Amino acid sequence: MSIARPLQEWAQRNGLFFALVILIVFFWITSERFMTSANVAVILQQVSVDGLIAIPGAMLVLSGYVDLSVGSLAVLSAVIFGEAMQAGLGLAPSVILGLAAGTGWGAFNGYLIAYLGFSPIIVTLGGLAGARGLSQLITHGFTVFGFGPLFAELGNGTLLSVPVPVWIYAIAFIIGAHVWYQTPYGRHMAAIGGAREAARSLGIKTRVIPFWLYVASGFASAIGGLIVTSELDGASVSLGLGMELDVLTGILLGGVAFTGGRGSLFGVLFGTIFIGALSNGLIQINVSPYFQQVAVGMALVFAAGLDVLYQRLDRIRFTEEEPPAAVATAEASEQAEETA
Amino acid sequence: MTAPARHPVLELRSVSKSYGPVRALRGVSLKVEAGEVVGLIGDNGAGKSTLISLVSGSAPPDRGEILVEGAEKTFESALDARDAGIETVFQALALAPTLNIVENVYLGRELLRRDPIGRSLKWLDKGAMRREVASGFQRLGLTLPAVTTKVAALSGGQRQAVAIARAVLWDSRIVLLDEPTAALGVKQTEIVLGFIQRLKQHGVAVIFVSHNMQQVLRVVDRVIVLRLGRKVFDGARANLTGPQLVGLMTGALAEEASVARAAPAVPGPSSKECGNAV
Ligand SMILES: Nc1ncnc2c1ncn2[C@@H]1O[C@H](COP(=O)(O)OP(=O)(O)OP(=O)(O)O)[C@@H](O)[C@H]1O
Ligand SMILES: [Mg+2]
Repeated sequence: MSIARPLQEWAQRNGLFFALVILIVFFWITSERFMTSANVAVILQQVSVDGLIAIPGAMLVLSGYVDLSVGSLAVLSAVIFGEAMQAGLGLAPSVILGLAAGTGWGAFNGYLIAYLGFSPIIVTLGGLAGARGLSQLITHGFTVFGFGPLFAELGNGTLLSVPVPVWIYAIAFIIGAHVWYQTPYGRHMAAIGGAREAARSLGIKTRVIPFWLYVASGFASAIGGLIVTSELDGASVSLGLGMELDVLTGILLGGVAFTGGRGSLFGVLFGTIFIGALSNGLIQINVSPYFQQVAVGMALVFAAGLDVLYQRLDRIRFTEEEPPAAVATAEASEQAEETA
Repeated sequence: MTAPARHPVLELRSVSKSYGPVRALRGVSLKVEAGEVVGLIGDNGAGKSTLISLVSGSAPPDRGEILVEGAEKTFESALDARDAGIETVFQALALAPTLNIVENVYLGRELLRRDPIGRSLKWLDKGAMRREVASGFQRLGLTLPAVTTKVAALSGGQRQAVAIARAVLWDSRIVLLDEPTAALGVKQTEIVLGFIQRLKQHGVAVIFVSHNMQQVLRVVDRVIVLRLGRKVFDGARANLTGPQLVGLMTGALAEEASVARAAPAVPGPSSKECGNAV
């Protein structure tokens, strides 16, 4: 009991970091290409997109919610952008339409879940199927190509020799970390996720906060979709397939409790890098693409196991839950008997 | 600093509240003056916590008015009530177990840095909150683990102490305590009863819900008894005994002359006819 707590905290704080170091060293040794600057840039780009989406995603999980529709919102935003470009609307209006699609769907998710009390898993699972299906309907499965050099900068450009997507992720992470650690909202999210009734009775905005997190999640997914579209110079309906799994695995590996209330955004940063390095490294050592999916799936189950472990450790330590009302009632009824 | 108020600090005028078919409160009126401690008692399910939740802003009344210092209030949320100077220790404590003691004490009303950058970025002043809580606990004579301990790591009694400290540390005019001593040991109970007396000295109006008649008779000035959502007794503590109070709660004792309203037709004395909350 007395060592469980420090051990748990140490593992939560450092375990993932060491696992990441071991993973990187392993791929460094086994693959000649893994640590080349070209490949590191590829990893960083994937991590930037997943990481960007994981920021509001982690806040949702912290608050006791989840968004499974992120990959489908990314593709919907991308194809709406692509169709708008093809229709000759011009770059800026097309970007705005693309962003509006993901953000609007996110607001729809948020309204159903936060205000009407629909199940987060069911609503966003509906979004996962619905938004991708809609993308296929819009494009009939065809990929739109060729958006010009200016748009290509979004995914491929560099600023001070750092890729533009990394800049976007870095700025978003700084904002996210500020919200998470330095403003009241971080605590409010943890309170909503850990004790929703308590948060409500203290006057915390238990509907407004999750609603805006779903909006932010849709917006981040839309930006992610546009970044990938820019990288490929094409809006393909296969974009963002399995993205929700990568993002969620990164969040859970990072130590955010799936039941809400606990977690760290820095953990999520490492979790996302871990998933990015893992799937890229497996490609580099020529493992079958099917096995990559197995690996991500295993990482997800492993993260769920860690979550259970942390909860067990929490409970071992805090078993003394007395039922106060029952004691008081017994007293009162004893006295009642005396008078009767 | 303000002129002595002509109005009671808190007044309820025929307040009613139903949860579906359950009429939890039926036309309850009451007044609490500054520096007065009112004991609110009643059997399980009598409506005590419901009354507390209406005054604390966590639920709106169906009918009736709530007045604070003579001004009618409609609380949109618990924060409105807290801004009006009403602090509550809920029966369920309303603590977030994954947050630490300081975070819980300031939950929903965190201190922000005063400088323009801090204010515009909603930057928490964590140092100030930590210091305030630590010195507040010392002032209250509370011995708790370090203020950065997670509430999940506290015992039931320690949690209750945190919930009470949260209500008492603010300069509030009205403090509502819903069974604050239910999980406490002898020493902690004494501290809580001491708080109540100190609040009274500072002119705070206190509503104290408890099932422990000894405690009620020790600290309150006046007793209000609820039965099945109705107020069946409202009178000074003087000359009341524990068995009398229990009799009023259960209906075994018919309402006396001091009862504020006509007796409701309630069959079956001393049995637990309203035990559906258990
Ligand atoms: N949120 C709610 N939803 C539905 N019914 C409720 C709710 N809150 C209270 N009630 C009902 O209202 C009645 C009064 O409950 P309340 O909690 O006010 O009783 P109480 O006097 O505080 O009892 P106890 O001594 O057990 O705490 C009960 O019948 C209860 O079942
Ligand atoms: Mg109650």
